[in-house]
Amino acid sequence: MVAVFKWLLPSVVLSLLEPRPNICPKMETKKEEKKSKIKQTSSFWVWVTASVIFRLILIYFPKNLNFSSRPEVATPVTSIRRLAEGYWLKQSSMSPYAGSMYHGSPLLLSLIGPLTVKRIEGQPNHLLCRKIKFYSILSLAVTIFSQQSGFVMHLKVFDSILGTAGSLLFSLADVVSAMLIRATGQTLQMSSCLSLKSLDLVELSKNSEMLSSGDIAALVYLWNPFTIVACVGLSTSPIENLVVILSLYGACTSKKLKALSGTWVLNLILLLGNGPDAPPRKLFLQRRCSKGGKNPSSDSSCQEEELFNQSKLPITFSWKPVIHFLFWASIWSVYVLVLCGISVKQNGGMLEMFKSTYGFILTVEDLSPNIGVLWYFFAEVFEFFRNFFLIVFHMNILVMILPLAIRLNHRPCFLAFVYIAISSMLKSYPSVSSRLSAQIYILAWSGILNIVFHAYADLQFSFFLFWGCVGVSLLSPVMHNLWIWRGTGNANFYYATAMAFACFQIVLVVESVSAILNYDRKLRKLFVTKPVDGKS
Amino acid sequence: MAETEVSKKRKRPIVRLAVLLLSHSVLVSVICCTAGVFGLLLLPVLAKNTYISENALMPGSASSMLSNQEVSEANKLIKELNNLHSNPLGATTESHGIIAKYMSNLGAQVNNHKFHPQLNQFHPLHFFSGPDSGVMQENSTRSLYGINTVGIIRAPRGDGKEAIVLVTPYNAVKGGVRETLSLGIAYSVFSLLTRVTWLAKDIIWLVADSQYGEYAPVAAWLRDYHTPAFSNLDSLNTETCHVGNNNFESKISYGIRRSGTMAAALVLGVAYGNENEDTLGIYAEASNGQMPNLDLINIVHYLAVHRQGLRVKVEQFHWLLNSKWVKSLGEVFESLGKMVKTLNPDWKLGISAADYVEGAATLASSLYHQALGVPTGPHGAFRDYQVDAITLEFSLRISFDRLDRRNDFLLHGGRLIEGVIRSVNNLLEKFHQSFFLYLLTSPSKFVSVGVYMIAFALLVAPLPVVAASLYAKTLDLNPTSEKDKSATSNELGSVLQSWKWLNSVKTVFVVHFWGATVSLLPYFISQIPDSDPTTNFSVWILLSILSLEILRWILVSPSSHIYGLPQGEWAILKSATISSFFIGLGLMSVINFATAEIGALLMVPMALMAHPLKLDVRGQSLRSILRMICNLVLGVISFPPATFFVFKGVIEGFSGIKAGDFWNWVESLWAWNSATYLYIEYGNIDRLSSDKRESNKDAPLLSCGMLLLKEFA
Repeated sequence: MVAVFKWLLPSVVLSLLEPRPNICPKMETKKEEKKSKIKQTSSFWVWVTASVIFRLILIYFPKNLNFSSRPEVATPVTSIRRLAEGYWLKQSSMSPYAGSMYHGSPLLLSLIGPLTVKRIEGQPNHLLCRKIKFYSILSLAVTIFSQQSGFVMHLKVFDSILGTAGSLLFSLADVVSAMLIRATGQTLQMSSCLSLKSLDLVELSKNSEMLSSGDIAALVYLWNPFTIVACVGLSTSPIENLVVILSLYGACTSKKLKALSGTWVLNLILLLGNGPDAPPRKLFLQRRCSKGGKNPSSDSSCQEEELFNQSKLPITFSWKPVIHFLFWASIWSVYVLVLCGISVKQNGGMLEMFKSTYGFILTVEDLSPNIGVLWYFFAEVFEFFRNFFLIVFHMNILVMILPLAIRLNHRPCFLAFVYIAISSMLKSYPSVSSRLSAQIYILAWSGILNIVFHAYADLQFSFFLFWGCVGVSLLSPVMHNLWIWRGTGNANFYYATAMAFACFQIVLVVESVSAILNYDRKLRKLFVTKPVDGKS
Repeated sequence: MAETEVSKKRKRPIVRLAVLLLSHSVLVSVICCTAGVFGLLLLPVLAKNTYISENALMPGSASSMLSNQEVSEANKLIKELNNLHSNPLGATTESHGIIAKYMSNLGAQVNNHKFHPQLNQFHPLHFFSGPDSGVMQENSTRSLYGINTVGIIRAPRGDGKEAIVLVTPYNAVKGGVRETLSLGIAYSVFSLLTRVTWLAKDIIWLVADSQYGEYAPVAAWLRDYHTPAFSNLDSLNTETCHVGNNNFESKISYGIRRSGTMAAALVLGVAYGNENEDTLGIYAEASNGQMPNLDLINIVHYLAVHRQGLRVKVEQFHWLLNSKWVKSLGEVFESLGKMVKTLNPDWKLGISAADYVEGAATLASSLYHQALGVPTGPHGAFRDYQVDAITLEFSLRISFDRLDRRNDFLLHGGRLIEGVIRSVNNLLEKFHQSFFLYLLTSPSKFVSVGVYMIAFALLVAPLPVVAASLYAKTLDLNPTSEKDKSATSNELGSVLQSWKWLNSVKTVFVVHFWGATVSLLPYFISQIPDSDPTTNFSVWILLSILSLEILRWILVSPSSHIYGLPQGEWAILKSATISSFFIGLGLMSVINFATAEIGALLMVPMALMAHPLKLDVRGQSLRSILRMICNLVLGVISFPPATFFVFKGVIEGFSGIKAGDFWNWVESLWAWNSATYLYIEYGNIDRLSSDKRESNKDAPLLSCGMLLLKEFA
């Protein structure tokens, strides 16, 4: 167990706390701009702290806020209660997967499990002992590691994690992912600026410099009610989100270490079972991103290439990074699998683990109502058609991968966003945070690719989409209440809201894709007209 | 909305229709609003006759078995209890003992249930709390307690999985003949049911100790019935076993005895009638406008009218019965109905003016009680556990002193209850066949959800149209103004333009947030010891103004002047407000229709009329001045305290209105977690008073969010 922590946690922290690559743009810095920038960043940090405090306040009303039992927050895969149950089973040396209670990764179990003890047992003394033991082991591991790597900072952060309850972990995860989003945003912004400049579209680039989209995206992520609810409801989805964002960040910045952690993360995702068909999709995505991120800003270089000569395909990538990536990916997946194997060896073994994580997700076994679109369907369908429809639904996602990749290959990050949105739409157990993470991501990534932000200028009915989403997401719990608690409605009411939401999401995705394609067209037009002007 | 916008680009017929709608939004909204109000007034005409929808009920198919034998037994009980009341010392404990003794003599399982009346206290997070949090707080008032007596008959043909509940509120301290009579009815039925062979569901008879109000004991019993409390039980037992000095009393356990899920519950009451015939009053409204299944009311009505010859009445607004304009409206509808009938004799819209007035009065009271969200009797407690329940209130023509008259009454009442129980006993599933969402216009007439929703939909339909048209207008407006400037350089500007609505959304959000704060304030104010309602009220007002200023200072001011043209801004702000308002009303109509309807009546005109006062003042034309006056009047009227006072003034006369009344009213509303309470926070008018003068209103959105979470409580 110690080994697990020793290896897993530090690598995360390491990648998180590494000083940001010198993002600060070099441009002709006037003093005023600098000042305003400082002001902006300070207000940014104020808001970040405020969001953490807000979360903590909400977390301290656990008795009154039953978020963790809401179907919108806790899905069979992400529910903390189930995790606690699995942890309890494991402690009593049974298989954590017994009784179809827990469906997550065994590693997650050892990671978060100890923190759930309090909520279950409610015996502070006992808990304290155990916690202290656990923490001492952890911090030992961390110390060793940090001594090795020389990052003393980590220890502090770790202490702060360890010192408080597990609930803090989730808010921390949120903050960290927000930071990652910010960093990614800044990186991307810089690269897009560069590319725009190289295309002589200085005005556009100026505009994009003015909006600090990374900050906006991070704040949107932090203050999104859905993230907050998921965090307060203590579902494990903040950690999943963190992992996804981390992998994207790693891919974008293409640091060795981060790519490493990205790959590690990728594997963890696989183990967390972050959605049906996770393996191929995520792998693919990862590859695209790593492909995109391999040189300083291949994002822009690809795009440039395409703009210059549309006939030529933007194949400038060398196979080396891809092979690198595959190599590391396989190593890490083997590694994580071995770890999992060790931790479930005594009870059940790998086969059971696969069955009750991926199997559970892919076959949609749990039909309790959630905000997804699959449960109702599979509750209604005849048993002998079940397999057929399972295949149909999962193929649905797979089919979309290739065409989208071809169409959007010059914008790997945006492609990643589209993939995430689609998979969260068709997931078997979506929760608010993961399902609506599509929303989060759309805002986050739109900020990140602040080009998209510009492109969204075309998005005329953003206003109506916004109100529609607000309305539907409020209507959904109302309908649930009407059905479950009052008994005056029925399942159709609730399912209708789920479908409505899916529709809104589809509209959102379609609109944003078309917006970005329009934007590309505009760029091309500008680029074509510019040289003419210069000649004349 | 989104669809119409999408299709606007391509010119299909539907698009042209949408454009037409948007461009004539004023006309559309006027027509829709009028139609909505008209539809509401038309509801009594459109009411349908009730019918028994569930076939399994078969009311009245078996002849009644209740005979004079049971009645005379019941008389014995009544006499004994009445004797007890003549010497009030020690009546409390003894009456429980007597009732318990009678129950167990019949062969029922008896137990006492001790409860501590919970002071109905508003708690800010109660709206979000789960069902178990009520149990936690119970150890507050230990000294006060009441004792319910519960008797259970196990059904010979059942498996103990289902039960029917009879509730008789009984105040042992100052209970009069009234209450003993209702006990008598219940006892006669109970004694019959111990002997019948057809019983398939257990019968639970709850004698609720009503010294702390009728609702509290029933709610407490239901809570304990549904939440097994393992630790509390023992302490209760040891604590109270020595209370009974009676020998028999001490044998009765204080643990909760349970049966299965409850199929239905009947609360019995007796009132002194001053009318010419025996009547039966039915009270059905539970908390937050929830109603029991219509079938339950139907069987009671059917049996009462057709078997026992009682006149059934539901609550009415009596002041409406005499009002002139309702009468004239009824006459108009009558003549209209006649005219329609000449066109096509199959259309049966005709309704006499007197019927219309009756229907309108009943409908108004039905709407009012549903909207208020305060249950009209102990039956409200059952609805929180998805049990259909109604209160039956018998009222007698003459006094109860004459024995033969009393026997007759007991016989009729008992037979009615027996018939209802027998029908419910036939049920195989829980009530589901008939309506849950309806309004009553008379005991035998109802308006179903499909009909009254039309009126509501018409009323709120202008909101999205106006919001869309306002937004579209600003979109049209902006590009032109943008083109005047240098088109190329202002890329950023156009981006900000197209996202400018975010700013107004933020404003709306801030106002909602303020509404939430204001609505939570009374909790803290009520903590102030020794304060009378008037001061509380003024403190509340002061604090809310203060919080508004603080919020403006913190959140609104820095960004409000950064973006955009003031010209378009108020339009976008209005459009955002209207959208949020529409969502709120829509949600509210799902949760509690009546609240939504009344809220819509008050606020839709205001929302549509809202216009910056400053522009009006500057305009100085007759039209703008008229608009300004309308705005002011509507703004004042729909400000909740003002609404309250106006209503009170209309109903009771304007003399003797105190500011404290509003506070009292509000206090009674939290106590019941009423949805209406949440409407109060829409007093957020004129938040932009300083610069934009945009009448801003709010709150249903919030109210819904809170309400639905509250529902778990």
